[in-house]
Amino acid sequence: MANNKKKAFPVYLVTGLLLLVLCTAVSVAALTVPYERAKTYLNILFMDDKKLTPSTGVNGLVIVENEDIPTETQSAAAAELPSEGEIVRPAFGEQYAVLKCEAAGINVPVYWGSSAELLERGACQTTSSVVIGETGNVVIDAHVNTFFADLTKIAPGDEVVLFTEYGIFTYTATEQVKFENTDKRYVNTTDFDRLTLYTCEAQVLGTSTTRVGVLCDLTKKQFYTAAAGEEGA
Amino acid sequence: MMAKTKEPRIRLYFPNLLLTFLLVFCLIGTELMLLVQHTALNAEAFRKVEEAQQLSTKASQTLESYFKTRANSTGIPAELFLQYTDENTLSQGIHASVEAAFAYLNGEREQFDYSRESMRETLAFDRLETSVTDFFSSYADENGYAKDATYEAKVAQTIDEAEEEILFVTDVFKLRTLSENKWFPKIRKIASNVGTGTALCIAVTALVIVLLILCNLKQRAHIAYWLGLAAAIAGLLLGAPMVWCLATDFFSGFAVKDPQIFAAVVGYLQMLTKDALVMAVVTLAAGLVLFGVFAFCMALRREEEADISDLPGGAA
Repeated sequence: MANNKKKAFPVYLVTGLLLLVLCTAVSVAALTVPYERAKTYLNILFMDDKKLTPSTGVNGLVIVENEDIPTETQSAAAAELPSEGEIVRPAFGEQYAVLKCEAAGINVPVYWGSSAELLERGACQTTSSVVIGETGNVVIDAHVNTFFADLTKIAPGDEVVLFTEYGIFTYTATEQVKFENTDKRYVNTTDFDRLTLYTCEAQVLGTSTTRVGVLCDLTKKQFYTAAAGEEGA
Repeated sequence: MMAKTKEPRIRLYFPNLLLTFLLVFCLIGTELMLLVQHTALNAEAFRKVEEAQQLSTKASQTLESYFKTRANSTGIPAELFLQYTDENTLSQGIHASVEAAFAYLNGEREQFDYSRESMRETLAFDRLETSVTDFFSSYADENGYAKDATYEAKVAQTIDEAEEEILFVTDVFKLRTLSENKWFPKIRKIASNVGTGTALCIAVTALVIVLLILCNLKQRAHIAYWLGLAAAIAGLLLGAPMVWCLATDFFSGFAVKDPQIFAAVVGYLQMLTKDALVMAVVTLAAGLVLFGVFAFCMALRREEEADISDLPGGAA
């Protein structure tokens, strides 16, 4: 009799496992079709693999402020710098330049990338423009009520300087412009060196769809480190 | 003699197996229906999420950031709007959006109405409009700005944008989006049938349990075994996905990163998952208890049989 009881135990166990496997298989089979239908939506809804929690207020944006950018042009050393050299590509959210225009009293940090958080901290350079020092259009904007409040004071002929950790880039303002925010002709890429600074038109009340800006031509490039191959020259 | 006693057991094995199999899914179905009725489609659950996730605080911070950022380009001081959007007011707005949604889902209203007009009093829009109008008026007077059609349009635009943003921020569960995308009528249909569905699931579960009991009247200890097996498997099947979701923090991959929306949606989904997990654990525990009862009964019977066989002229 005791032997029968002992023999029954594996039966109970196997029955349990069999039923578990069967129920699992049926569940998986039943859920396959709904899952396939919902998969695309689930992938879109829960697409953030990094699982960032928006508690920082900057939504995962890493903002790097840089107080070490030299902003001195008058020294003898600056005058002897080579006109070609190495460019250091910045990371999104990194302050990699300082914009100065003494004529208009502008002295603002420039961040690579544009977002509300960065615009709170300084001027922003759109990532669709070229990095300062590369050939093309360097497009920088800021809020009219903060960092670019005096932008319209820059007149043709005024000097605008961009200081980076890898060099100094001097521009001369050539033209003041006014355009609608849908008009991309001044912010598009160019095949020649240009600096485009713009902001919203200062309006008496409310926001404006009109942008005001200044176009500048590059007059001098100075790199702290010569480009590879030029060092021996 | 042995063959005769085994026969009914073998005969009843497959019906028991089938009934237990059905009971597993009846239990899962009942638990899911109860989850939908008491948590997923329960206004009180939404209020708990609002409180636990401090949604009004997050909404207030979002609005503060929005109006301060806007002030950089418009020149209109953020305080003009923020003085009427304190946490308490926003909390009332969030409550109102949930109440409006459940009034529609429960059939009390024919439309989900969470508009600027319906929220005018709750969100103090009248005071906000007066404040904006006064600011514009005094600004125009001080700067000699003509109060023409352009001026009126700018006042109206500023008020529209501000009120729409406040509505957007207080609609933390994106109920307006659900209503605009025709999801609401589908959810309303589910909500209206969820009570019947739950009752039906409970009735079918009870029927299967009764059938299992009837099948095992002669082997009463086995009732505990089959019921325990069904409960344990139902608990495991329901609990496993919930454990996976919580362990991998799956819901934190939610793509919308507006702090108040993220907290509301992720908080709500996590609450549902945790409630489902609690149900699963309780079911699994019930199954284990029933296994214990079965083992106890079997041990008791073995002792009784041993006692009888020990008696002079006993069964042995």
